[in-house]
Amino acid sequence: MRKGGSGLDLPIAIGVLVASGVLDAEAVAGHAFVGELGLDGSLRGIPGALVLAEALVGLRVVVAEENGVEAALAGGDCQTAATLADVEARCSGRLPWSSPLTVAPGPKHGLCGTAVAGDLADVRGQRVARRALELAATGGHHLLMVGPPGAGKTLLANRLPGILPDLDAETSRTATRIHSASGAAGVTTELLHRPPFRAPHHGLSAVAMIGGRSAALRPGEIGLAHGGVLFLDELGEFPTAVLDALRQPLEDGVVRVSRSQGSSICPARFLLIAAMNPCPCGEGGVPGACRCSSGARSRYARRLSGPLLDRFDLTVRVDRPEPAELVGTGPEESTAVVAARVAAARKRARDRGVRANAELDASCLDDVAPLDPRAAALLERHVRTGRLSARGLHRVRRLARTAADLDGAGRTVGPAHVAEALFLRGSRSALLGEEVR
Amino acid sequence: MSPSTVDLASAAALVDLPGMTPVRLARLLDGFSPGLAWRAVAAGTHPADRGRRFAVNARGVEPVEVARRYAAAGVQILLPDSLGYPAALIGDPGAPAVLCSSGDPSVLAARPAVAVVGTRSATRYGVRVASDLGRGLTEAGVVVVSGLAKGIDAAAHAGALSATPASAPPVAVVGTGLDVVYPNEHRLLWEQVASVGAVLSEAALGTPPHPRVFPARNRIIAALSDIVVVVECHGRGGSLHTVEAAARRSIPVGAVPGAVHSPASRGTNGLLVDGCMPIRDVDDVLTALALARGGAPLTATGGTWRDPPEGDRPEHRLDRVERIVWDAVDDVATPVETVLLRTNLSLSSLADVGEALADRGILVAGAGWWARA
Repeated sequence: MRKGGSGLDLPIAIGVLVASGVLDAEAVAGHAFVGELGLDGSLRGIPGALVLAEALVGLRVVVAEENGVEAALAGGDCQTAATLADVEARCSGRLPWSSPLTVAPGPKHGLCGTAVAGDLADVRGQRVARRALELAATGGHHLLMVGPPGAGKTLLANRLPGILPDLDAETSRTATRIHSASGAAGVTTELLHRPPFRAPHHGLSAVAMIGGRSAALRPGEIGLAHGGVLFLDELGEFPTAVLDALRQPLEDGVVRVSRSQGSSICPARFLLIAAMNPCPCGEGGVPGACRCSSGARSRYARRLSGPLLDRFDLTVRVDRPEPAELVGTGPEESTAVVAARVAAARKRARDRGVRANAELDASCLDDVAPLDPRAAALLERHVRTGRLSARGLHRVRRLARTAADLDGAGRTVGPAHVAEALFLRGSRSALLGEEVR
Repeated sequence: MSPSTVDLASAAALVDLPGMTPVRLARLLDGFSPGLAWRAVAAGTHPADRGRRFAVNARGVEPVEVARRYAAAGVQILLPDSLGYPAALIGDPGAPAVLCSSGDPSVLAARPAVAVVGTRSATRYGVRVASDLGRGLTEAGVVVVSGLAKGIDAAAHAGALSATPASAPPVAVVGTGLDVVYPNEHRLLWEQVASVGAVLSEAALGTPPHPRVFPARNRIIAALSDIVVVVECHGRGGSLHTVEAAARRSIPVGAVPGAVHSPASRGTNGLLVDGCMPIRDVDDVLTALALARGGAPLTATGGTWRDPPEGDRPEHRLDRVERIVWDAVDDVATPVETVLLRTNLSLSSLADVGEALADRGILVAGAGWWARA
């Protein structure tokens, strides 16, 4: 619990009132006061009221009106007041306390930072990217989209939250708490039901990304993305320090921040979606198209560390659609259709005891995703020829499991889904705008 | 008549002066023998060295020392009256006043020469054509001239080196100093060309790669050749400098046709529209060469590409789904997205077939694109 900041204005004022004999110590026993005081005695809200209120459950919590709903989410006896005089009048019994605030379950939309709504049906073509998006949503596999500007990478990423299922009760509460503690996104008014979508600009600092701003160790973007999506557009433009800071949370699902004021642990389990150009000119990747010097290309690709790239189970090229190829292809599936398929496949993952297949332990893969002989031979060939590392092998098997789940296949994973996973894992040279000789 | 040791040493010293460019060098040597030019520059009395910048740079330089350094690096200094100086350059308006050579420059004498040039970001198709031309021309006794750049240039040289019989040695003209291998990954290729043929440069030892030096280099490539063949090039770029230089010298230019969708063939297809000779194989070049030089056409000793008989080609042994996928993939890189739209298969089925075809060497799989092998 935070022991600093303007939220202590009201408790200090009450303390002074008690010490000077205006209020009876008995009258404030069993009460907790949280709020900032204006010079005119008005009571103002503070960030993180939900977290404080949860810590104070059992007491009657008195907060500013703007914090009322948020504090009430904690479920205790929550009271609001407009001014210090108001609080004094009620404590001394001149005015009655109202009945505790309760909050009805909020409407089912995201609280803050939710993606611009848009339906997948609006995206023409892009079948590779759509499939990758669906696999990412189902299996919790991180996705990197590589392609020239204007190919629709952002358009696709914005539609990802729509196909993700609602947050489970625990994640919902944790996410709401993090958003409350951040305070930055305005005042919390309801529990977060839908996965948050955070798309920080590449100009942000490492602190803004992982958290720890100010003495209060505020959560950063990755904390705010807990349970939802962190979208990093122009991945190559992010400072290396910011990207490297992502590696530990990606591995552990929590972020540890240590500052001189202390350290904190914040949940940060998120789906990472990134987009970047293949090279500075944006046209790389297809032989003969790129005009960048090989030096410029490799400098651009070197900005991303190998360990970070390794986290992306899905690396796909997204090109500008060719109108001529779209003629005669029917309308594409809508968000609702895809979301239903994702939900069904997620249920199969839950039956295995994980939220999503990306969390499957390598040791249980043989049990939950045994390979058909042809599929095993295919993987073996890729490992033998050095196209796949041992670490990559597990990642490909998890991804193939997700693909099989989506297609309703049985317990054994066949060669088609393994081939698909190998294809979608892509290769590092995709980023380099490879040269062919 | 060959130049005196004094002239050769002075020429080396002049080339080696800091700030020297081919154009300035030509001005210094206009009407002066190298020995005289050096003495005038060192004395500060050379009329073309008005700002006396070279006089300052020449202070303390001993031409004999410079010449010794060049000789130690295996570099031969060529003046227009040297024995090995390429005859094609004599009388050329842009002829280099001094040429550095490693290897034997006299290989150009009495042999036809064809420049095979093109883009650095070549496609597999371009690389294959350049290599076929390099090999076929060398087997037919034609000197392949190129720039040792990435892509087409390197493929042409590599093809020339792989020729059997190697009836003509290859010649490279580079923009950097002869001790500065650029790009560095071509070191082996560079050394092989120098050992069987020659690598020429008009730049001093130690001259680094600079965008300025390559267009100047391209004019020498054009001037040395009887025909310039552009295998692949984009809408603009170095290859078009070579084409321009050739056109100014009335040297015929040929271009290899490419797919109209391929960005790497945009320049070459444009050249064909402008009336350049279409070049499909070595025979086309040899025919053009006979026209250009007069006399009996040379014959290719092999290396031209012919369709294997029906039934022997790998794509004739495909099952139904494989056939669908094969038909949806172009000869040039086709995005898998496009293949998906054309075949209407699911990504997993497509990936399965693609994997099998790539494994049999029928398809080439890149990052997000496929092409027919």
